[in-house]
Amino acid sequence: MHIHAYEKIWLALSIVLILFLLGSVTYGAVGPGVAMVADSEAQIDANALDEDDRFAEPRVEQVGENEYEAYVVAYQFGFDPSPIVVPEDSTVTLQITSRDVIHGFEVAGTNANTMAVPGEVAEVTVEVGEPQEYGIVCNEYCGAGHHGMEGKLHVVTEEEFESEDGGDSE
Amino acid sequence: MSDALEAEETFLDRYPAEAKIVRSAFLGSFLALTLGAIFGIIQTLHRTGIFRGIIDSSDYYTVLTAHGVFLVISFTVFFLVGLFTWAVVRSLDRPLVNIKITWTWYLLMAGGMTMTGISILAGFVDAIDMSADVLYTFYAPLQAHPLFYTGLAVFIVGSWLAGADWFRTWLAWREENPNERIPLQTFMVLTTMIMWYIASSAVAASVLIFLLPWSLGLIESVNPTLTRTLFWFFGHPVVYFWLMPAYLLWYTVLPSIAGGRLFSDPLARVVFVLFLLLSTPVGIHHQYLDPGIAEGFKFISMTNTMFLLLPSLLTAFTVVASVEYGARQRGGTGVFGWLRLLPWRDPAFTGMMLAGLMFAAGGFSGMVNAGMNVNYMIHNTIWVPGHFHLTVGTAVALTFMAATYWLWPQITNKPIYSSQIGLFQVVLWFIGMALMSNAMHAQGLLGVPRRTAEPEYSGFDYPVAFGGFEELNVQIAIGGTLLFLSTVLFIGNLVLTMGNPRVSGIAETLRPALSGPDDAPEVLDDLRIWVGIAVTLVVLAYALPLAAIINDGGLLGPGVGTYPVWIDAAVGTLADVAVPAAWSLVDALAFLGFRLLDAAASGVVA
Amino acid sequence: MSRTETAGAPTDDAGGDEEFDPVGTLALIAVYFAILVLAWVYIYYIEFLGRDLVVVG
Repeated sequence: MHIHAYEKIWLALSIVLILFLLGSVTYGAVGPGVAMVADSEAQIDANALDEDDRFAEPRVEQVGENEYEAYVVAYQFGFDPSPIVVPEDSTVTLQITSRDVIHGFEVAGTNANTMAVPGEVAEVTVEVGEPQEYGIVCNEYCGAGHHGMEGKLHVVTEEEFESEDGGDSE
Repeated sequence: MSDALEAEETFLDRYPAEAKIVRSAFLGSFLALTLGAIFGIIQTLHRTGIFRGIIDSSDYYTVLTAHGVFLVISFTVFFLVGLFTWAVVRSLDRPLVNIKITWTWYLLMAGGMTMTGISILAGFVDAIDMSADVLYTFYAPLQAHPLFYTGLAVFIVGSWLAGADWFRTWLAWREENPNERIPLQTFMVLTTMIMWYIASSAVAASVLIFLLPWSLGLIESVNPTLTRTLFWFFGHPVVYFWLMPAYLLWYTVLPSIAGGRLFSDPLARVVFVLFLLLSTPVGIHHQYLDPGIAEGFKFISMTNTMFLLLPSLLTAFTVVASVEYGARQRGGTGVFGWLRLLPWRDPAFTGMMLAGLMFAAGGFSGMVNAGMNVNYMIHNTIWVPGHFHLTVGTAVALTFMAATYWLWPQITNKPIYSSQIGLFQVVLWFIGMALMSNAMHAQGLLGVPRRTAEPEYSGFDYPVAFGGFEELNVQIAIGGTLLFLSTVLFIGNLVLTMGNPRVSGIAETLRPALSGPDDAPEVLDDLRIWVGIAVTLVVLAYALPLAAIINDGGLLGPGVGTYPVWIDAAVGTLADVAVPAAWSLVDALAFLGFRLLDAAASGVVA
Repeated sequence: MSRTETAGAPTDDAGGDEEFDPVGTLALIAVYFAILVLAWVYIYYIEFLGRDLVVVG
């Protein structure tokens, strides 16, 4: 088969481009350590979240020095807890599920973004910095009230976290 | 070649029965385009907050479902079946085996789409207990009315019969022409249809095994991850199903319109084979942020997706080179000077070239979508619709409209009412889309979600960048309005064209490739090999993820409720009565629909 | 449209004897390549990796 020399050049450049893209993504994974939402958690019964010790009471919990876990339930049409309150400069692992239909969980303008699928638990770990207020949106259509579904992520100072934590626990 | 003979005759002269089916398919397609455009303008004004007086925000999702389904299923696929019928008959230079079979699949597709359309539009009428506000992706456990799924299944079966019709016609041709290479256009149709059979089998299984029985109450629940994965098994290759007719036009029609010739027939075949092989084992890239799917499967899907860039990049070269050849023939010189000698006043040429240019831009945002981890930044933001309005919304839609200016006279013997309006229309589409899509990409980077009636929130503001949320909304609304006007001009021009008298002497020929099929290795035409490899790749990409999903969550899910969008809890029992009643209504409407389409089709002939 | 020209000159360019070199295409596509690489570098390395809340686990 006859292929023009210029076309061979372009073919080679195209393959270089593809390898460059794959290389960038791989660099992101091993350099800055970006990890994907995966199947790390077992499936759960979405109709019986009240029997699950994580999601019966959605909350933020300290699990290590400067390490926190947030158990978040998405539902038509909101997130629980809201706001999610975490202390500054900490590592936060979010476990997110849905108790009804498929939702999205996106901290607007950041890289924290995942699907919330009933029966599945999405796990994402992020490092938060300075105190700041972020908005959370549901970015998957979930029913007629979808556009009203929002939440908040509050990164607060150590002191505020201590006092809020004390006030929140029922 | 038979080209000399063909030059005297249009497609209508030579194959009147086939021309009628092509016209009917195009009319179905343009009806869907009209509806889609009306829903599009409502949506663009509502979402951006420019004007929210037409619908309630809760009805926005009915509009969105209708916009999506009518445009990406009816408009694209009806155009495809018309174009492919034309391409097969033209390139084999032989009639279809049995036109009754042809009308059967046409009516199945039209009937299926009518059912699905009714189930969606019923969502506007509170008195009717029927709705399919589940958007084009119909993710369970949101549940549409059974009619929605039934219509989709009938539509897909119709498309399978269409493919069988073209295969049969090709086999008959092969009997008559042993040892000849498959003509390029037929080759493109056959490879595309093989891809379609593989891809649509998954969504058909999802609908027939799970979603339809579930919506009828025969099974309790479904596994949302499983049905979602089966959807995307189909959902990515379907974008190539939209795109391949545009590629067929770029490869086989555009060079002739430009006064050039296809640069390389063998490479065109290679490109279509690559699409057949790589289109399907990539669907998981739509699920990068799904829990319940291991990272390794996502990585495999990304690698396949990135290599899927290759056939498109090769196409860019081959198509531009074919056009450049035309310009050089006219005496074009210089590295870029030849561009001036192209037939820019021809709406068919300019439309397709602008569509190709937009596709190049869409190629970039597609690379970002394909990048596994960068997906965190743009997943389910309005960046994504920004991307596919460049690809299906322009590369495909604008190519179809542009091609219509060239093809419609060939199937009706009526010259286009106004080429100038046509030229203005395609340029207007380009400008409108440039504005709208660019602003959508930028809003996506701010974190603005897709698929929402009101993207502004009470608890927070978006970061101020790229001009800011509000200014970008205005750009989207202006762009969307221009696109609507462009569609109105297209449809108007076509309606006026139908009023033109028939003339003779408007036949167009397609010129053979510079490097013809004889340069292509024989193995390219051995479709069985490619079917085998394509199926193997799909099995490699999907067997383990599907097994894992079923193993983890079960066929019917780990315990997930049912959330019908079509029954208020209070009137649940009423639905038992309403469903059979609605069915008979639908049968009647569908029948009426067929008759109308048929009448419209004969009207064009008369 | 282009038919008259086609019909009038069916043989002028029929052969592949004298190879046609699409210089213009090569130039255009090289520009496209450069744009793709630059845009990717911006989006991936600056926009994406520069954001808050990078998912690390």
